[in-house]
Amino acid sequence: MTATSLPPSSPVRVKVRVNRLVLYTVLVVITGLFLGPFGWLVLTGLKTSAETAAAPVHWLPTHFEWHNFADAFNLVDFLGYARNSLIIALLYATLVTLSSAWVGFGFARLDAPGKKWLFGILLGSMMLPQMITLLPTYLIFAKLGMVDTYWPWVLWGLAAAPYLVFLFRQFFAGLPRELEEAAIVDGCGYGMIFWRIFLPQSWPVLSASFIIAFTWTWGDYIAPQLLLSTDRTTLAVAIMSTYVTQAGSPITNLQAAASVMYVVPILLIFLIAQRGFVAGMSTTGLK
Amino acid sequence: MTVDQLSSAARRTRSTVTADGARQAGRPRVSMTARRHRAFYMFTSPWIIGFLLLTIVPMAYALWLSFTTYDGISPHWTYVGLGNYRELFSDPTTWDSLGRAGLFALTSVPLSILSGLGLAVLVNRPLKVRGLLRTLLYLPAVVPPVGAGIAFKTLFDQNSGAANGVLTLFGFDAVGWMADPYARYVLLMTVLWTAGNIMIISLAGLQDVPRELHEAARIDGASAWRTFRSITVPLLSPVLLFQTVTGVIASVQTIMPLLLAPVGTTGSVTTVPQSNYLYMMHVFAQYFALGRYGYASALLWVLFVLILIVTGIIFKFTSGMVFYNVDPEAKK
Repeated sequence: MTATSLPPSSPVRVKVRVNRLVLYTVLVVITGLFLGPFGWLVLTGLKTSAETAAAPVHWLPTHFEWHNFADAFNLVDFLGYARNSLIIALLYATLVTLSSAWVGFGFARLDAPGKKWLFGILLGSMMLPQMITLLPTYLIFAKLGMVDTYWPWVLWGLAAAPYLVFLFRQFFAGLPRELEEAAIVDGCGYGMIFWRIFLPQSWPVLSASFIIAFTWTWGDYIAPQLLLSTDRTTLAVAIMSTYVTQAGSPITNLQAAASVMYVVPILLIFLIAQRGFVAGMSTTGLK
Repeated sequence: MTVDQLSSAARRTRSTVTADGARQAGRPRVSMTARRHRAFYMFTSPWIIGFLLLTIVPMAYALWLSFTTYDGISPHWTYVGLGNYRELFSDPTTWDSLGRAGLFALTSVPLSILSGLGLAVLVNRPLKVRGLLRTLLYLPAVVPPVGAGIAFKTLFDQNSGAANGVLTLFGFDAVGWMADPYARYVLLMTVLWTAGNIMIISLAGLQDVPRELHEAARIDGASAWRTFRSITVPLLSPVLLFQTVTGVIASVQTIMPLLLAPVGTTGSVTTVPQSNYLYMMHVFAQYFALGRYGYASALLWVLFVLILIVTGIIFKFTSGMVFYNVDPEAKK
């Protein structure tokens, strides 16, 4: 930086310092705004019912009602819903990661007539609003007796996700040709090459894909709302609907406490694995 | 397949035969190319089959239903031809909700791209804490929609919400944020809150902009704004196009209005404030509240065709403006 060689009182140096101060102030304010809603959720979860309804606003709870978290846990079958969420998220994330890696390998390392077309359709289908297919899919699953089971997530998982296929395809395409050539000369099949050589190489993408798929399913509201009954349903659905009094009015503080317990695991996963996560997110943006 | 590829495939086949001809002597010879072709379909078949069964079949089924009065329960349903479509086009609720969805996309997409890009430029500066800032600004994008919905509902509560707390602190009147006409601004804020997503993707794009270009521009005396406009933006254009298209499609699918609705009883769309009653809410209302599967399917198909047209227009309109400097195929 040129500023370092200037005397401390130089106008250029002062200007740099003022700029820096403005920049930091702006960033602190923006970060505050971005974290605000979540902070407010935590605060609401620590208030009494009266405080969450009081006007004017009670900025801080008079006592931190930590027991709200235990109450939120006990009022409804929190653990049961969490287990349901976990089952479908693990089921879907595992299957879709493997199937997408498998399909991604095909698009990256093999070819056949029609490949260009198929890849075009794959990319195009990324832009297909899933909501549009979800309602008719529900009717079909209902006819097949798959409503209120976890089969839809198994099928969706086996079918691979275009977004993740693209992620794996980009990664596998970047690996050197020599990797498979020796194996082919030895008479090794492509299935074996994928399983033994390519898959072990791709753990960064595997973990990114797993986390992305897990987060989707954990956060999904519409599909479990459509396909699962009240006791088989997920935390996302339960939080929206079960924290109500017998008269049907919402119990805001417990709902907020439950939301915190629902959101925190995802935030933790993100914080632990953020590198792979962010890398996964950013590669796909650069088609 | 080009002649070049054919001849190289032939060469490869011949060399394989000579290389391990002895080993393969007993088996019928399958050419290398045929093996690769078969393997390609074996690898891509999960997606091909899945796409046919879980996307094409439901879409076709919805198309068929859209010509009927099917309601899922009653055994008496009839084929009505274009009846549903005729009704749909003459229903003012359809047009109103479509207009609101269009307006929502038109405001939320550009605003979130601008804020995401702005944030990316800010956290691309050489700051000590930029790693932390990036993480914190991205964090809301990871929060599941239900969590965000509850957070915004408590934040904008008329009595005890922080938003009205701030307003009254400055002597303004408290506002009914969750009702018309303000609910639309809360909806918009939930979208802008996740601008970190666009920030991260734009950031990757910003870092791909060659440093020499900026330096050359600076030496030529270009201002910061001019460099940004003439170098950064064109180089980011593929990212921006991708964000625009996915943003429009995401805005159609948003279920936030449902999650923000006062006392959001599940599946109910009747409590959604008028200003947040977007096209998708209209579909849900017909589907869940009224059980009109045929009519709702017609609404879905109209939406699908509209999205095709809109994305087509976006691609057509931007074809001369998007600049691809990296060809992903060239990496091989």
